[in-house]
Amino acid sequence: MTEPVIAILDYGIGNLHSAHKGFAHVGANAVLTRDPRVIADADGVVLPGVGAFGPCLQALRAVGLDEIAHERIEAGVPFFGICVGMQVLFAASDESPGVDGLGVFAEHIVRLPDTVKRPQMQWNTIDQTAADHPMFAGLADDAWMYFVHGFAAEQGPHVVATCTYGDELVAAVGRDNVWACQFHPEKSGQNGLRILQNFVDAAREAS
Amino acid sequence: MHLFPAIDLRDGKCVRLHQGDYAQETVYGDDPVAQAVAFAEQGAGWIHVVDLDAARTGVPENRHVVAAIAAAVDVPVQVGGGVRGREAALALFDAGVERVVIGTAALRDPDFVRELAVDHRVAVGLDAKAGEVATDGWLIGSGRRVLDVARSFADAGVDAFVVTDISRDGTLEGPDLGGLRDITNATPVEVIASGGVGTLDDLRALRALEMDGRRLAGAITGKAIYEGRFTVAEGVSVLEGRS
Repeated sequence: MTEPVIAILDYGIGNLHSAHKGFAHVGANAVLTRDPRVIADADGVVLPGVGAFGPCLQALRAVGLDEIAHERIEAGVPFFGICVGMQVLFAASDESPGVDGLGVFAEHIVRLPDTVKRPQMQWNTIDQTAADHPMFAGLADDAWMYFVHGFAAEQGPHVVATCTYGDELVAAVGRDNVWACQFHPEKSGQNGLRILQNFVDAAREAS
Repeated sequence: MHLFPAIDLRDGKCVRLHQGDYAQETVYGDDPVAQAVAFAEQGAGWIHVVDLDAARTGVPENRHVVAAIAAAVDVPVQVGGGVRGREAALALFDAGVERVVIGTAALRDPDFVRELAVDHRVAVGLDAKAGEVATDGWLIGSGRRVLDVARSFADAGVDAFVVTDISRDGTLEGPDLGGLRDITNATPVEVIASGGVGTLDDLRALRALEMDGRRLAGAITGKAIYEGRFTVAEGVSVLEGRS
């Protein structure tokens, strides 16, 4: 059995080493790429993101990866958005008014509540809200994950995990072949690696 | 509360100094990257790296090792030692470092820290001997009181103070609980304790410190782990209140 190919979308934002390393560690043939042919042949697609909502979308659109992301999602290929890469899958964000998100999820990204220090930068436990989402296979119900974010998704029908920070915040969403998490699985130790492993497993099964 | 296993780099190797004395060095390993990976696999939530060469000279001698560690581990890495300007800090962030610890430069150029902390993760290193902050790889006394320096950064937007008692570092004699309590009480900034941890009971004492409902954010340990006094897994378990 060959290793599933995981295409990590490289659109010129930030440091992708740890994501690449994490997927390689759990047995994927991980490639950093913006080449449409490579992405089309991949068994799974990962959309990372750091910084702010608007600049990430601008960078995605500048290299045409917004359309490719939509196309892969519609084709049913396992797709995983991480941190700001999760947020850009939503309709819009308070962080960058007037910038359209990819709209895969209809809700908006909103600022964390005024009652807490922003951004949330810490290890926090998640609370799984959907029964047996494959993202969390093999993990404790209250696994620790590493978060760095000042904005989070509104509650909606596709939420599969939350965390408590002032309010109950959306920590992960899932719909069919699309998974996304606000925390950084590639920085969350063994728990995070298990999530990457689960995604690689899903990609293997789908291929 | 987090355990921060420490990796002190000198000439590309993993070493420990006794009370910060560069002449009293013990080499613990030639492969700091493998060391960091092992710490993360044992459940450490962070890895704390100090570039001892850069701390003394300001030249980032071990930057390639830092980058290799940050790329190899799947937990956040914080790095201190010789981060004396914005350029040096940004180079570390580019290398995949999550947070920089700034000591000497924070005293000489507080505005550099404030400006960096606007959109980067910064901790201020307060390295003190008898209440006086030391700089330049602990070789020089600053003449400034540690509590005064802490207060001056209370509103700077930094993540944390990394508080080291130089007279205890590398001695395994137990942390300075009173000093940690005073610094925590002085500002709202989180405090990470460093220096002197020798036993699991020392970690229990750090975890038990409570100041108006606030606790320490973490404990940095080096020698105790390298000398086998306890394992990273045991330390994590204590600091998480599980044993």
